[in-house]
Amino acid sequence: MAPFVYSTLIISLGLGTAMTFASTHWYLAWMGIEINTLAIIPLMTQNHNPRAIEATTKYFFAQATASATLLFAAVSNAFLTGGWDILQINHPLTSTLTTLALAMKIGLAPLHSWMPEVMQGLSLLTGLILSTWQKLAPFCLIYQIQPDNPNVFITLGLLSVIVGGWGGFNQVQLRKILAYSSIAHLGWMILILPFSPPLTLLTLFTYLMMTFSLFSSFMLVRTTHINSLSISWAKIPTLTASVPLILLSLGGLPPLTGFLPKWLILQELTKQDLAPIATLAALSSLFSLYFYLRLSYTMTLTMPPNNPAGTLPWRLNPQHNTLPLALTTTTTIFLLPATPTILALFTF
Amino acid sequence: MSYLMYILLFGLVLGLVAVASNPSPYFAALGLVVVAGVGCGVLVGSGGCFLSLILFLIYLGGMLVVFAYSAAMAAEPFPEGWGSWPTLRLMVGYVAGVGVAWGLMGKFWYEEDWLGFDGVVELSVLRGDVGGVSLMYSSGGWLLIGGGWVLLLTLFVVLELTRGLSRGALRAV
Repeated sequence: MAPFVYSTLIISLGLGTAMTFASTHWYLAWMGIEINTLAIIPLMTQNHNPRAIEATTKYFFAQATASATLLFAAVSNAFLTGGWDILQINHPLTSTLTTLALAMKIGLAPLHSWMPEVMQGLSLLTGLILSTWQKLAPFCLIYQIQPDNPNVFITLGLLSVIVGGWGGFNQVQLRKILAYSSIAHLGWMILILPFSPPLTLLTLFTYLMMTFSLFSSFMLVRTTHINSLSISWAKIPTLTASVPLILLSLGGLPPLTGFLPKWLILQELTKQDLAPIATLAALSSLFSLYFYLRLSYTMTLTMPPNNPAGTLPWRLNPQHNTLPLALTTTTTIFLLPATPTILALFTF
Repeated sequence: MSYLMYILLFGLVLGLVAVASNPSPYFAALGLVVVAGVGCGVLVGSGGCFLSLILFLIYLGGMLVVFAYSAAMAAEPFPEGWGSWPTLRLMVGYVAGVGVAWGLMGKFWYEEDWLGFDGVVELSVLRGDVGGVSLMYSSGGWLLIGGGWVLLLTLFVVLELTRGLSRGALRAV
């Protein structure tokens, strides 16, 4: 792709999200999301193979449907209440429609099925953009809807946590596993949204960190399949040693950062007298933990039989820029002791 | 006037059903043209003559191009119209769905919205739609720049997707 076109697309990707962030008017917010969708399409078809084109087509159809529904909800809201303000979406019909449209945008459980299919056809870098940056604009909108009735959010969230864990079970393709992991994490965020919006932001923040480190690690070892993970130790031993910690952090085990959002969410749900839902969510995240464990087992905890010469790190130093990866990996692993500070940062 | 509006709205819903029931592309494009035309009629009936004219010229102009292209690309020897069974089945299903929705929601229907935005025209200096256009150019300037940028972006996207020889995305399929 020509550099000018590439930079135009990247700038527009930024512009769309910024426009949605800055808008108080539904029409502008919708426009920002549309710019986002349009701008990423050529990036998705950069690799000219039929699978990438198929993924792009699926992505476009899903996003166009969701956008049309969102616009319909906004117009209906303007028709019923006379206002275009994002915060003023308080008619039950339009607020439910908006929630569902945005849920389809970010891939929440009953409307999630485009997400693994699309991710599977993309390169890891585009997949990273899709599962982090592209989520921000719809998420900003979903954060601003304050529904009277939290049931829609609870249902979406709980289903996403369950489906995200369950769907990743039988996968051997890393990109599909990453997609299901993204669905499960978004489920946690939506589950807590009606009760404590700052916790949602906190979860989003940690999710961005963890996903970025995992995608970057897989990009460095250039693998999209679970089998080829097992030879990554010969390429980058240090990273291979730290990837299980990233994975377990995504799974939410205690001394790592990933425990922080899950802990606080479960605590908040219990405070809201929703102990059964909290239990169900916690148990469902065990599914996710299972496939994270399988990935770390393949990558680090097992070693194929080799002669001694083969076990040496014999490659030249990799020429990649690993500073962002180092930063996010550190935050992914070590942030739990800073819980009070982070909580103060997000809830003040 | 009310009778005409009934006919137009009926045509609008029927046209949408005709598009949604999955016929061959050029029948679907024909359905879209019908829907757009009837929609312009509904707008005129609600008092938006200028808006309707813009929509008719620009949207239908674009629609005709799409119509020509899809007719050219999807020239099937045996196209599926609305007479063949799979399409007809869907169509009947959608009409029944509209009927059910009417039965459920019909009691909330009331006619006061047909007043249109020029129902109080004697109180205003400008017509509603012309006033809207001038407002768009005066206070919506940045929005227009944004819209122009989006059109440019769409051009880039389409060119990038359909460029020639082996570099176009569509060739890969």
